[in-house]
Amino acid sequence: MKAVLATVISLALTTVVIGNAYYQKKQFYPSIVYLTNSNPSMAVMYLQAFILVLLVGKLLRKIFFGQLRPAEFEHLIERSWYAITETCLAFTVFRDDFNPKFIALFTLLLFLKAFHWLAEDRVDYMERSPVIGWIFHVRILTLLMLLAQADTYFIHHAYQFTASKGPSVQLVFGFEYSILIIMIVNILIKYILHAIDSRWEAPWESKAAVLLYTELAINFLKVLLYIGFVAVMVRIYTLPLFAFRPMYETMRSFKKAYNDVVLSRRAIRNMNTLYPDATPVELAAADNECIICREEMHSGAKKLPCNHIFHAACLRLWFQRQQTCPTCRLNVLRAPAPEPAAAPQPAAGVGGAPAAAPAPPAAHPAAHPAPPTGPPQGTTVPPPFPNMPPPPPIMAWGVPPPPPPRPASLAHLTVAELQRLEGTERRNIEARLQLLREIQAMLDASVLLMQQYSSVVNNLPINNASIGTQTDVSEKREGRQVKTEPDVVPTTSTHKQPSPAPSTSNATNEDEVYPDSSTSESNLNSQRDKTDANAEELRRRRLQKFTIEK
Amino acid sequence: MAGSALRRLMAEYKQLTLNPPEGILAGPINEENFFEWEALITGPEGTCFEGGIFPAKLIFPPDYPLSPPKMQFICEMFHPNIYADGRVCISILHAPGDDPMGYESSAERWSPVQSVEKILLSVVSMLAEPNDESGANVDAAKMWREDREQFNKIAERLVRRTLGLPPP
Repeated sequence: MKAVLATVISLALTTVVIGNAYYQKKQFYPSIVYLTNSNPSMAVMYLQAFILVLLVGKLLRKIFFGQLRPAEFEHLIERSWYAITETCLAFTVFRDDFNPKFIALFTLLLFLKAFHWLAEDRVDYMERSPVIGWIFHVRILTLLMLLAQADTYFIHHAYQFTASKGPSVQLVFGFEYSILIIMIVNILIKYILHAIDSRWEAPWESKAAVLLYTELAINFLKVLLYIGFVAVMVRIYTLPLFAFRPMYETMRSFKKAYNDVVLSRRAIRNMNTLYPDATPVELAAADNECIICREEMHSGAKKLPCNHIFHAACLRLWFQRQQTCPTCRLNVLRAPAPEPAAAPQPAAGVGGAPAAAPAPPAAHPAAHPAPPTGPPQGTTVPPPFPNMPPPPPIMAWGVPPPPPPRPASLAHLTVAELQRLEGTERRNIEARLQLLREIQAMLDASVLLMQQYSSVVNNLPINNASIGTQTDVSEKREGRQVKTEPDVVPTTSTHKQPSPAPSTSNATNEDEVYPDSSTSESNLNSQRDKTDANAEELRRRRLQKFTIEK
Repeated sequence: MAGSALRRLMAEYKQLTLNPPEGILAGPINEENFFEWEALITGPEGTCFEGGIFPAKLIFPPDYPLSPPKMQFICEMFHPNIYADGRVCISILHAPGDDPMGYESSAERWSPVQSVEKILLSVVSMLAEPNDESGANVDAAKMWREDREQFNKIAERLVRRTLGLPPP
């Protein structure tokens, strides 16, 4: 409705303007001259041209795509906005040769781009639409041919122009159309793959892999083009800001495609070489069902290091997307190579299981930053405990992590397996004991220090001691003197309100910041923090006293 | 590829018909296209959505179950985790690669282990306990947090509408 209204209005305006010109000049040629010299008339003509372009666009869209799906339309609008902003940015670089032809060329570029996007979306949709009629194939193929021809024509034109007249805005067009023709190639490859796939009755397993490699190659080409373009532009004009966003996106998708290819290759190779085939007994234990396709497993099933069993074919497809176990999300690339027997892998990558306290396997090294061990305001932080494990990450909201797999019963295990089981367990306990001993030593040391300190304080004259306990300079400036340890200096008339020691409160805060699923560990943490805080407090006061005495 | 997706969807449909979970009904809209389902979800008891019957559409990708389906309510909804157009925003419906809200860990994402049943159960629990951290509908999230009474009133209106009753 709006479109019709706009069309009618612009048509009426154009008629009025042309009629007016003709009425004034009476002849064809003078009226044209009049029209081109009058700014308002030209504005109306531009508007008319714009509306005409939109109308032609609509017509072509109807011919080649029929009704757009809402998702396609949304996508189109979104990309158009980006493209228009970037075109405006490009204008700023070439403001010197700004003229109607220039605008027309850019409009045409946008227009063609829009059709490339639509074609891409449509071909992607092919994969999920159940029925594809012959009209779809005719439309897509004709459109792709036409677009490819237009692209080559413009590339050729840009090349000729640049070769004969030196660099100009045609450089940008040449580049943009090269990107578009790469896109056409990509769409065509996808189209062919989907078309073949839809013809075959049997599932085509390598299609995903082919798509992955196509993606990689296309993105590589694009990255090369972008880099070349930016280099040329920097040499001749200035930094082409308008190319940065698409360049960044292309680089990112190239990186992603590269990672996908590398990781999936590695995962699939692991699967083929390292992971054992599931035995019939194991298959029976898993109800013979592959959880990916929900079908029975008879042969060709592989067992992952986490003991989950799937069809090898299903796993291959999944690994092309993600290199994790579908059931427990164990990262198969980071997991240790599987043992021949069913040894449990305690918490290797299973969403932060706190059971493995000392030295958790390097399954998520970047997931949890090491917490600050001392109170933050201290200048001399005591060395952090080297074998204190970082706290497990905060439990993920929502899906609870599945427990690590355990062997069904100890009686089934061989002696070697039992020994290995016991081995890790014993190591864990030994490490814990070691830790506790260290903490005890630290506590003893701090008690000793406290005793020493109180005896020293008692022997000092009173005014010295009161200066010694002033902890904060800013508090002193406010004129309010804060006493940190009320029981240590009992009789000073100037101090009235004993406030809690700042460092201890800090330590408890820290415990709240890192909530812990295993209570024993959080106890250890709080004890350690308190000890640190005490020792730290002592050290600071000694330092202060030392400077005062000097 | 489409064959295995189809077989799995058929298996899930069979499973859902044989052992239907409480308060959930789901199946293909028409038996010729197994990639579009309709689901009816009853509002969980004891919540502001109690008693409502909410229809939703599930669209499955051709590489299901490797990629998650999309879910969209086809009745009017007002909920922090449902977009204005009815699309449901929960983490298990997102493929591990993309992160529309920028905060979900991959442990909560889609994996082939999930199923229609699990999705619908998650949606039921989402109805019961909205996650106002991820505002698919920011207005609803704000109201849920600050003006629960008004939120409940709107929910009640929606429930009545799904049942074809006039607003109170």
